[in-house]
Amino acid sequence: MARAPKSHRVTIVNTKQVIDCTTGQTILEAAIAAGIDYPYACATGNCGTCTSRLVMGKVTLLPRGDASLSAQQIKAGQTLACRARPRSDLTITWLSRAPG
Amino acid sequence: MIATHKRSLACKKLLADVHAITAKEGITPSALHALKLKLVALAAKKELFPLADFAMPVAEGRTHPLLVEDNDGLGLYLTISLPGKEAAPHDHGIWCINAAVSGRERHKFFRRTDNLAKPGYATVEQVGEVMVEPGSGMAMADHDIHSTVVVGDEPAIGLALYGYALVRFPSVAWYVPQFNSVRATPSRRHAAMAGGAL
Repeated sequence: MARAPKSHRVTIVNTKQVIDCTTGQTILEAAIAAGIDYPYACATGNCGTCTSRLVMGKVTLLPRGDASLSAQQIKAGQTLACRARPRSDLTITWLSRAPG
Repeated sequence: MIATHKRSLACKKLLADVHAITAKEGITPSALHALKLKLVALAAKKELFPLADFAMPVAEGRTHPLLVEDNDGLGLYLTISLPGKEAAPHDHGIWCINAAVSGRERHKFFRRTDNLAKPGYATVEQVGEVMVEPGSGMAMADHDIHSTVVVGDEPAIGLALYGYALVRFPSVAWYVPQFNSVRATPSRRHAAMAGGAL
């Protein structure tokens, strides 16, 4: 029997919701699947619309454009929800607009 | 230094050729095809584009080191994209031509299939595909929609010619088939090139 993919709990501060995100999903994909109006545009790491602050937890980042997330931003705890796959339970808040 | 000088001359020559073609024909399918052949020929001169002269992306992504922009808006760039770098279907509002120096980048072309009635909602269907690799290129007209992904294990290095210099690039409309969405954003490329990315 196929094993279900491992998932992590993701707390989205803006909407005060906790969702499940599998290790093969990006945070954005899990949020949209859960009906959350997470801000995004390209969903492929080019535009930076989904720039978020990783309050707690670890992610793996998929390839992205250099313009979208700088090394300084990563150092400051920022990430891209469309490129971030969880490696632990985590807490995140989007930065680009007020709670949706 | 010799490569830099020769590169500069070759790029200026290319832009002069582009102006000659577009002044005569405008931006027509045949003109875009002619521009593509010019750009493919320039990209084939690999000795003009030694990697050591250009910064590699730091974010497993893409950079657009400037080659030349001219006064009336055309922009010619070297693009360096690392394996796996992708871009969802998008319309950047202006025609462009790509040609490969090395590596492989798959371009898929789409058409919008919804009735544009619902803001933020869009569906698209694929209508074509081309692999941009050494000896080949792709051309797209204003408001064509394409997606890109770098395939294989080596960076895709190529030339990109746009009808606007990136500093004056219009907004980009992103289509995400997975979410049936369309979202417009200002281009961030000029910010990145100026070192002013957020």
